[in-house]
Amino acid sequence: MKAIRIVFAAVLAVMVAFGLASTPVGAKEKVKVGFIGPLTGGTSSNGLGGRNSADLAVRLRNADPKAKYKYELIVLDDECKPNIGVQAATKLGANKDVIAAATHYCSAVAISTVDVYHKFGLPIIVWGAVLPDITYGNKYKEVHRVNGTMINQNETAAKFMTGLGYKTWAILHDTTDYGKGHNKYFSEYLIKNGGKILGTFGVTSDQQDFSAELTKIKSLNPDVLYFGGLTPIGVRVRAQMEKLGLKAQFEGTSGIVSDTFIEGTGELAEGVLAFREGAPTEKLPGGKLFLKQYNKQNYGEPPEAYGAFAFVAMNLILDTIEAEGPDRKKVRKALNKISGVDSIVGKIAFDDHGQNTIAVITKYVSQDGKWTVWEESEYASGKRKLRGM
Amino acid sequence: MDAGLLAQYIMNGLMLGMMYALVAVGFTLFFGVMDIINFSHGHVLMVGAFAGLATYFGLSEIGISWAPAQVMIMLTVATICMAALGMLIAKYLVLPLKAAPPLNTLLITLMLGTVLHEAIRLFYPKGANPQRFPPLLPTDAYTFGNFTLRIDSAMILLAGLGVIIGIHLLINKTKLGLAIRAVAQDEETAKTMGINFTLVVLITFAIGSGLAAFAGILHGFYYSEINFAMGLLLGVIGFSCAIVGGLGNIYGAIIGGFLFAALQTIGVLAMPFASAYKDVFAFGVIILIMAWRPTGLIREKISERV
Amino acid sequence: MSGTRDLLASLLPAVVGAVVVTVYLLLVLSVESQAGITVLLVAGAITIMAFVRFGSTARFGRSFAAQENTLNLLIILAVLVITGFFYEDHFVLLLVATVIIYVIACLGLNVQFGYTGVLNFAGAAFFGIGCYTAAVLTMHTPIPHVLILVIGGMMAAVIGSILILPVLRTRSHYSAVVTIAFALLFKIFLEVNDTLGGPQGLRVQGMNLLGWEFNNNIEIGENLEISFYVNYILIGLLLLAVTFTFVKRLERSWVGLNLDAVRLDETAAACFGLNISRWKITAFTIGNFLAGMAGALYAMMIGFIAPTNFTFGDSLILVSIVLLGGIGNPWGLVVATTILIVLPEKLQAIQEYRFLLFAAMVILILLFRPEGLLPRPLRTYLPGWRPK
Repeated sequence: MKAIRIVFAAVLAVMVAFGLASTPVGAKEKVKVGFIGPLTGGTSSNGLGGRNSADLAVRLRNADPKAKYKYELIVLDDECKPNIGVQAATKLGANKDVIAAATHYCSAVAISTVDVYHKFGLPIIVWGAVLPDITYGNKYKEVHRVNGTMINQNETAAKFMTGLGYKTWAILHDTTDYGKGHNKYFSEYLIKNGGKILGTFGVTSDQQDFSAELTKIKSLNPDVLYFGGLTPIGVRVRAQMEKLGLKAQFEGTSGIVSDTFIEGTGELAEGVLAFREGAPTEKLPGGKLFLKQYNKQNYGEPPEAYGAFAFVAMNLILDTIEAEGPDRKKVRKALNKISGVDSIVGKIAFDDHGQNTIAVITKYVSQDGKWTVWEESEYASGKRKLRGM
Repeated sequence: MDAGLLAQYIMNGLMLGMMYALVAVGFTLFFGVMDIINFSHGHVLMVGAFAGLATYFGLSEIGISWAPAQVMIMLTVATICMAALGMLIAKYLVLPLKAAPPLNTLLITLMLGTVLHEAIRLFYPKGANPQRFPPLLPTDAYTFGNFTLRIDSAMILLAGLGVIIGIHLLINKTKLGLAIRAVAQDEETAKTMGINFTLVVLITFAIGSGLAAFAGILHGFYYSEINFAMGLLLGVIGFSCAIVGGLGNIYGAIIGGFLFAALQTIGVLAMPFASAYKDVFAFGVIILIMAWRPTGLIREKISERV
Repeated sequence: MSGTRDLLASLLPAVVGAVVVTVYLLLVLSVESQAGITVLLVAGAITIMAFVRFGSTARFGRSFAAQENTLNLLIILAVLVITGFFYEDHFVLLLVATVIIYVIACLGLNVQFGYTGVLNFAGAAFFGIGCYTAAVLTMHTPIPHVLILVIGGMMAAVIGSILILPVLRTRSHYSAVVTIAFALLFKIFLEVNDTLGGPQGLRVQGMNLLGWEFNNNIEIGENLEISFYVNYILIGLLLLAVTFTFVKRLERSWVGLNLDAVRLDETAAACFGLNISRWKITAFTIGNFLAGMAGALYAMMIGFIAPTNFTFGDSLILVSIVLLGGIGNPWGLVVATTILIVLPEKLQAIQEYRFLLFAAMVILILLFRPEGLLPRPLRTYLPGWRPK
């Protein structure tokens, strides 16, 4: 019995000592900021690119001697699933040390977590989700967004495609709010521009086999197959289209503008069209600088389409914390008032719903294994032809 | 509906049925020999597919690029690896639990399945993402009206059929097959007759798992993609096909596989909006069949020792 | 006088044990740094191994068994202490509440599997039925929320009985497979179907008990703001106490005896006149009721549910908890739930690997120690009785 008492006391002492010692003494006050994105799963390339960009912003700020605080970035994975996103959001929100966060690439997740951020009073800036309802569907003062919404994207897409001469469409979209949103806006604008929709099909976001839908679409014989969904099923649809001999032109949204799509489809990616708000990273006002700094850090993954936006979101957060101090309410109030602030993507101004306006919509075509801006591609100049042209 | 479209649907159904049948045969073999349900089978299929993919990358490194050779080597390596894995599973997880209640074996194989798919998700580079499967089979297609016949789909179908015929021959015309059937019928008498029970079990698991690897690679070629979660649904559906045909009966399993795929295809045809319900339909049917004829359409013979 | 002294003597190890465990949990829950957590865990493991080596665990075990009622009160007190300690820390309280809710659900599974031997691989699906019931009822009807908890349980129980009815006559692995099929069907059906929110899920209103809004922080005076999760912990604790007592009483009663008979040997039980199907359905229904009730509370606490909350993997975690803790032992359940829920949250390194680790642990347990961490003790007809 004696022996065990000694063991016990020793262990207890060690535990207490460690507990006490876990709080180090530092020079600058530590402030925590958060980042949530899909770090695993089919959309992970965008999530990782966003994470690296946010990390870059934090690192640059920590290296700056003029910064008042030392920042720590807490990174959480939402796996592009609404309920995991809610868990991650709850974790950040419930953690009183986290002052603000840059969140979400997947719209389906972002629309589910807005309530959580409001409940905990955590100000957030969305960096990649495009569903309009995320900002416009509620009056929460905590929610802001730096990237654009899918409304402009689809408007431009409809005009452009009808302008090219395509007449009939079949629409395939996923059944999350993201896919449904794309379907809604694109159909609206397409009909306004005189296009004809032959059929609309909803699929689950992790569906494996599309032979039923694609066979039906084949029998409808449309000019274009519009795909409102994310990269994982985009890859499958494109591959299975070929297997069934469906020869329509494949048109996607910002959801497939990723290197993963091209890797996944190989040569089948050639000639695929897609649209995205914001200029390509190199063409942004501060794009070249951003890329230079990004490459210096030797991250394992490229920034992808929305890395620049994640960078901007995190910088806005850091700037606001520097100005107002680590207080959620003050930061939130300051973010609400942002108007005409410069950033690498241009001027940022949050409207009364926290939404920033991105005027530029880029049209992409996949050429030789890279997403190329339409105007610079050989398709625009006539050297290569799209399907059905 | 025109003939071309109908033919296309039939083709889709056949391909699906082929995959299910291959998985179902595995389940039936395991059940027949050891009276257990091995729920890691679907995940072994997935691991086999990944093994094939890894082999492909290895071959590309070495510089072998002639497609038929690549296909052959991928199939061989994956089948052998999974056969080995199957034997390990039998030796260390299934045989030790022979005396325990059968639920324990079900549990342990389920958990093993989880270990397998989590291992791939975590340890295979970028395992959580869908992986592109190299398009190594010839992609010419012949179009007859609305029906497109691709050479690679036809090859996959024929390969699957070949394997099934091979299994049939193995079980019915060889001594090993005789041993397997003997053990399946009555373990103790088989042992009395001098059949090495452990060896037969190990070999059966090897065969079943090798089959799974083959099916996995075919799956990969057909969909041009594999991902770590593909084993679960395939496993459960394959198992239900085996049940439909009667556990322990190989032909029942094959018929069950095609029947199931036919049900799914017809279901999708009949309810044009409900393609996503294909799996719901499938599971609903499974539950109903279990309720009506739990021992399968071809009756399972059971006798319980009191 | 000596009676009191004996009482105190047998009570002491239990009290000491409870205090030590409480302090340990407090430390684990408050330490943030990964290094600190690792040290704590290693220390804990060493202590436990030392105790086992020196035979102290047997002492604690006897003391616990002898004074079970006091022990229950002690544990409740311990939870309240922990809650009080972390009164503002949302995240820790969320963990505590989640553990309590999961214990209730797993107690249900324990009745099914631990007592009757009916394997239920759709635990998360029945939990989900409770969640979705709560979602629909809170958002669209004025039914009082406490009643919703009960209705959630009943929905799960009813659906469960319909499910299991046809397969009871057959061998046990068929009913297990039916539950697997149901578990998969549940998630896919919800995802594909838009009526219950589809893949986007549903919002759930927070609990509202007689006008007391559970989702608001409790504000006492000017400076004291208590996290709203405390509300849920209190009600969860109440439910847990009731459930736990119920399950323990059930085990000790003639119902429990029948259930055990069915589990141990169906043929012999049938020979003794027990209606096997009837008892299996009873157990299955009771178990699902508990799971559904826990689910309803969970939904109200989290405020948002989606089909991906209830995958097959989640059902497997519930089964793992029951297996690891010790089949048939409710205390083992509590320990296992705490470990399986708190550990991955605290030790970030294993967050990613938790499914893998849990599955591997279950495999090891099934191979080497099928009774689990805390094996179920011999049936006692009188509390504290031990064979001489």
